Amino acid sequence: MRALVFVLAGALVALVLGLSAPGVRAAGPTLTILSPADHAVIGNGTPVPVIFVVSDFNLTPPGTGGPGSSATEGHVNAYVDGVLSVATSHQTIMLPLASGTYTILLQLVTDNGTSLNPDVTSSISVTVTQGPAVGTPRIEISYVEITYPTPGLVLGRDVTISFRITDFALVPPGRGEPVPNEGHVAVFLDGVYYMSVMAFRPIPFSDLVDGDHTVMVRLVDDAGQALTPDVSDSVTFRIQFAAIVDINPYLSITQIVLAGAIFVVLFYRHGGGNVLKTLSARFGGKNS
Amino acid sequence: MRPHLPAARQQLEARRHSTLLALVALMSLVGVSLSSSTAVAAAPSLAIVSPADGALIANGTPVLVDFRVSNFVFVQPGRVGQIVLPNEGHANVFLDVQYVRLLTAVEPFSLSLTSGAHTIRIQLVADNGTPLNPDVSASVGVVATHGPQGGVPRVMILSPTPLEATGHGIYVSYRIENFTLVEPRGQPNAPNEGHVQLLVGTDVVMEVIQYEPVLLVSLPEGDITIGVRLVNNDDTVLANPSASATVPIHVVASSAVSLPLVSNGGVALLLAFILIVLILRRRKLAARDANARGGNP
Repeated sequence: MRALVFVLAGALVALVLGLSAPGVRAAGPTLTILSPADHAVIGNGTPVPVIFVVSDFNLTPPGTGGPGSSATEGHVNAYVDGVLSVATSHQTIMLPLASGTYTILLQLVTDNGTSLNPDVTSSISVTVTQGPAVGTPRIEISYVEITYPTPGLVLGRDVTISFRITDFALVPPGRGEPVPNEGHVAVFLDGVYYMSVMAFRPIPFSDLVDGDHTVMVRLVDDAGQALTPDVSDSVTFRIQFAAIVDINPYLSITQIVLAGAIFVVLFYRHGGGNVLKTLSARFGGKNS
Repeated sequence: MRPHLPAARQQLEARRHSTLLALVALMSLVGVSLSSSTAVAAAPSLAIVSPADGALIANGTPVLVDFRVSNFVFVQPGRVGQIVLPNEGHANVFLDVQYVRLLTAVEPFSLSLTSGAHTIRIQLVADNGTPLNPDVSASVGVVATHGPQGGVPRVMILSPTPLEATGHGIYVSYRIENFTLVEPRGQPNAPNEGHVQLLVGTDVVMEVIQYEPVLLVSLPEGDITIGVRLVNNDDTVLANPSASATVPIHVVASSAVSLPLVSNGGVALLLAFILIVLILRRRKLAARDANARGGNP
């Protein structure tokens, strides 16, 4: 009877404990990064939200743990490429990062900043771009100034090309390693590199010679390399400069001729003919 | 009066009595525990206080999200010796479909938004991250823009002035109100943001995102109309009439070429006129002399 009572009581105690504490976990703190996924691309230059969970560890704001450091209480140190960026007890860490690929490492530490034993860490790699995280970059030439009055025919030596891009961010080159959907526009005139465009603006061409010209715009990464697959567009137009015929030299010659004619008329009108006869008679007499 | 029992029997009775008491107490404890775990607690609720549904988040600023929770206790998931209770856990925040926050406190938080419409959703979850049953979540739709909060987009052409005579190239300056110029790169349309199109006649010749004057070149000669209009990110024209402006101008040849031409031509014409007059006068005099000789032989 006594043994039965103890067995029953033990079973009930176990039942009560089992019902009231189903979430008790195995000993030993753990740390898991929930978001973003490893090798994720963070678009539009937004801060990287790093979301993590821990187990068997109490997160407390740094510096609030009191004199004795507990091995199961503390905060998280966030390292970006090995550099300590944030020490926090919040389970979402916002990391504002420039374009590039980074290794983000989170480490559980006690309140005084010492790592646990064994060390508890978790890390991911993310890529930040100013462009969209997803999407297929495209570029198209939208307008050629002036295609007037005939499309494709430019009556001048200066031309301006406008372009339109999709799912791609224009940034100055030299910012670092290439990242997705970000870079600049390389402009080629008749197959020869002409200029780089790093902002949304018209591309001016000046003093083009008469004839057909082809302008190609190509999206390139930070290092100037064409995207894979190639993303480009081109347009061909004819320069036919309507030059004004300069008739000033002809007018000058006409002025000289007219002035000479006037002189001749005046010369004859004021007895020039008699003078001429006299002179010719004298020359003729000498010769005879 | 209770009869005296032998000492051993009294001891046995006492033990049996205490055991029964302990058993009853234990059963009562189990009963209380079981009844409390199955009791119908008030259901958790969640509401987003701000922003309001459909709110416009202007000027490219982050949105501050404020929310209220009742019958639910926020706790840090994964704490030491954690005993999970009903109506206890944390919240997950989603921006559209992206997981952006894990909340362990009922505090306002900010979110950076790109231009366009977005949905912010907060969901209460249990300690292990699973949604409550039934699901408790709240969502709100907002529209983000780099443009201003209100006002009617407007553009005015400052230069050239109407009917101004100009050469083949001209700077067009304009003033924009209640509209922010942003680089179009396939992003959704958003209120009061976009870019500028310049037109010659009805043809769009240029797209810009600059507030400074724009140089138009190779303009055709004659009477033409220069236009400036505000468009959305996808190039659709704003319906608002004040979002476009036009100005008629007259394009003429360059004076650097025409002035010498006019002066030289003028001089040549003058000389020709003088020559003709002299020749005519000489002929007239010759005819007069002939008449005079005929009258007085």
